[in-house]
Amino acid sequence: MSSESSMFSHRWLPVLLLAPLMLLIVLFFYVPVFQAFYWSFFLEQPFGGGSEFVGLQNFQRVLSDPEFWGATGRTVIFMLTASSLAVVVPLMLAIAADRKIGMSYPARNILVWPKGIAGASIGVVFAFIFNPFVGLMAPLNSLFPGLWNPGIDGTDAFITLVAAHVWSGIPFNFVILLAGLRSIPPTMYQAAAMDGAGPWRRIFDVQLPLIMPQLFLTFVLEFTESITSVFALIDTITGGGPGGSTTLLVYKIYVDGFRGFDLSGASTQTAILMVFVLILAACQFFFLGRRINYER
Amino acid sequence: MNRFTLAAVAAVMAGAGSAQAANIEFWYGNTGNVEVAIKAQCDAFNASQSEHKVNCVGQGSYEVSMQKAIAAYRAKNHPILIQFFDAGTLDLMLSGAVEPVQDLMPEVKWDSYIAGARAYYETSKGKLFAQPYNSSTLLFYTNKTELEKAGISETPTDWEGIIEAARKLKAAGHACPFVTDGDTWRILEQFSARHGLPIATKHNGYDGLDAEYVINSTFAAKHLANLVEWRKEGLVRLAADTKAGNYTAAFNAGECAMMEQSSGSYAAASKAFDGKYELTVSMAPMYKGYERHNTFVGGASIYIMKGHKQPEIEAAKAFLDFLRKPEQQMSFTAATGYVPVTTDVLDVIAKSDEANSPKYATAKVGVESMNQPATADTRGIRLGFYVQFREVFMEETQKAFAGQQTMQAALDNTKKRGDQLLRRFEQTYKGKQLP
Repeated sequence: MSSESSMFSHRWLPVLLLAPLMLLIVLFFYVPVFQAFYWSFFLEQPFGGGSEFVGLQNFQRVLSDPEFWGATGRTVIFMLTASSLAVVVPLMLAIAADRKIGMSYPARNILVWPKGIAGASIGVVFAFIFNPFVGLMAPLNSLFPGLWNPGIDGTDAFITLVAAHVWSGIPFNFVILLAGLRSIPPTMYQAAAMDGAGPWRRIFDVQLPLIMPQLFLTFVLEFTESITSVFALIDTITGGGPGGSTTLLVYKIYVDGFRGFDLSGASTQTAILMVFVLILAACQFFFLGRRINYER
Repeated sequence: MNRFTLAAVAAVMAGAGSAQAANIEFWYGNTGNVEVAIKAQCDAFNASQSEHKVNCVGQGSYEVSMQKAIAAYRAKNHPILIQFFDAGTLDLMLSGAVEPVQDLMPEVKWDSYIAGARAYYETSKGKLFAQPYNSSTLLFYTNKTELEKAGISETPTDWEGIIEAARKLKAAGHACPFVTDGDTWRILEQFSARHGLPIATKHNGYDGLDAEYVINSTFAAKHLANLVEWRKEGLVRLAADTKAGNYTAAFNAGECAMMEQSSGSYAAASKAFDGKYELTVSMAPMYKGYERHNTFVGGASIYIMKGHKQPEIEAAKAFLDFLRKPEQQMSFTAATGYVPVTTDVLDVIAKSDEANSPKYATAKVGVESMNQPATADTRGIRLGFYVQFREVFMEETQKAFAGQQTMQAALDNTKKRGDQLLRRFEQTYKGKQLP
């Protein structure tokens, strides 16, 4: 293995090249995060007229608030359902596109396009698709009035949100998984087929074990992403409603902080959420990451 | 050097002698036809004189405007004038970031503001904190054409009448007799005010930061429970029940026959109805047996933010003076349906030959509604973190409308969560007195 610094002869050059990026990360990530942790120990007046150190009182208040646990529960449910589906659906599509079936070549291209659409735009489109009067469900609604209405029924709103999230997750995960599948040497399938393995057998015993690194990557990214990136979808599709049924933690923080001017409460929840995400990622690496064999 | 440059130079030199010229910013939150009217006023101000220039910046909504103002104030980069809505009154009063308009402009005849508008924005010593701008109040709108089709000739004036009319409309096959979005301002605050009911103890917080919500034990709780029942019966519809998905749009399109809505919505409704339906506006409905009190002034007012230099303050004063001019208030009313709240303007309208013109329809009814007998509980709402309380109320009552809990349970929860907000506000502003 060659030395990693062999590309740069000068000692400070890599630092200089990295500096602009590091500066941005410090300014827009570490400073706000530090600020949030700091404020979580204070009662902060919105306009900065004064703040009072209250120790762990904010944490005590947030952790004993049923609304916080409600939002956390919804976040976990969303994480499990939406991010699992957001990996499984692209996985099925990728396996299909990898096989030499009709249309698989154009599908490999078309399925990537939605990557270019911003979350907020997806939200607007899905709000329309799932509209109870003009959307996809409208015919069902005219047969069974009141069957589907995400504006009234919290479960319907949650389903809409999951569907939009899964759809928006397809392109990226599809590309990663398809790349993993394409890199498996065809001789492996041929050998498996010679030994009498059918298509399903080949998927479970050859393909899936060999794309474990890609699957792991998509799962880790999805799990952490689903917690934060869902904001744009909630804001455009449901606004957290009806009745708070789609107020996930990340949206609750926004509402508390920016619409309710509760800077301390929002900061406290941000701190808790960050610790939660860190623990989650750490768990994934500890319990899953170790078992994955990256060598082929 | 052309004439304009000469004029400009002359103006600058003249300005240097007396008050200095200044460019100032004014942040507002409205959109749509109201934004058009605001922009027109800014342009008119800039055209009317050459000394000052106001730059009016739309922020998309009151909340966003406030968020940005908080961030800007902390960064010492804030505008001098900011419009903010009724719910943020106490948050701004205690913020230490604004200067009461009456302190900065003691020479103005603030008495000309009607009592209902003053009470909402003044201190306990009677000093106005903000200059009321786009004032509105809650009115009752009906689609007279649709009502007549169902055999209702008289516009209902009380809830009993509305429900009777709604039943007739439903019997005639109307899918949406009465529509509401269940907004806190409409179904709780204005209802409580005109029925003379308190929203919180200490006269809605006017007498101290240690107030507590009482919404779960007043007659408002009964009304809100009625709304749930009426919705089940198909008489009342929520915004999400309508095809339009938005209750004002549903009313304006003729989908729904009756609604309670701000006077600020009048211009849009009358434009949408033009040639298709006949529109009526009247005071918001009462229950039989209750004495009518005033409705709150809604909409928004303009605050002067601290931390600006004298020339900018002069420019801000000039702009506020301009906005108070009768002809400005009248054209703004005509363009939007917002209500003029100074007696001099109301006099001018009453004396003009357009007194009964539809464009001033809301001015008459709106002021009449705000001028009903007041009590200590109908002055306004002086409760902290009130914007967040509105969110809580909406969330809990939506659950009641969806059948996940009873309305009484929803209101009990709202009170509990609301009181927690009040206690935290009290602690955040510990040691501060209500101005």
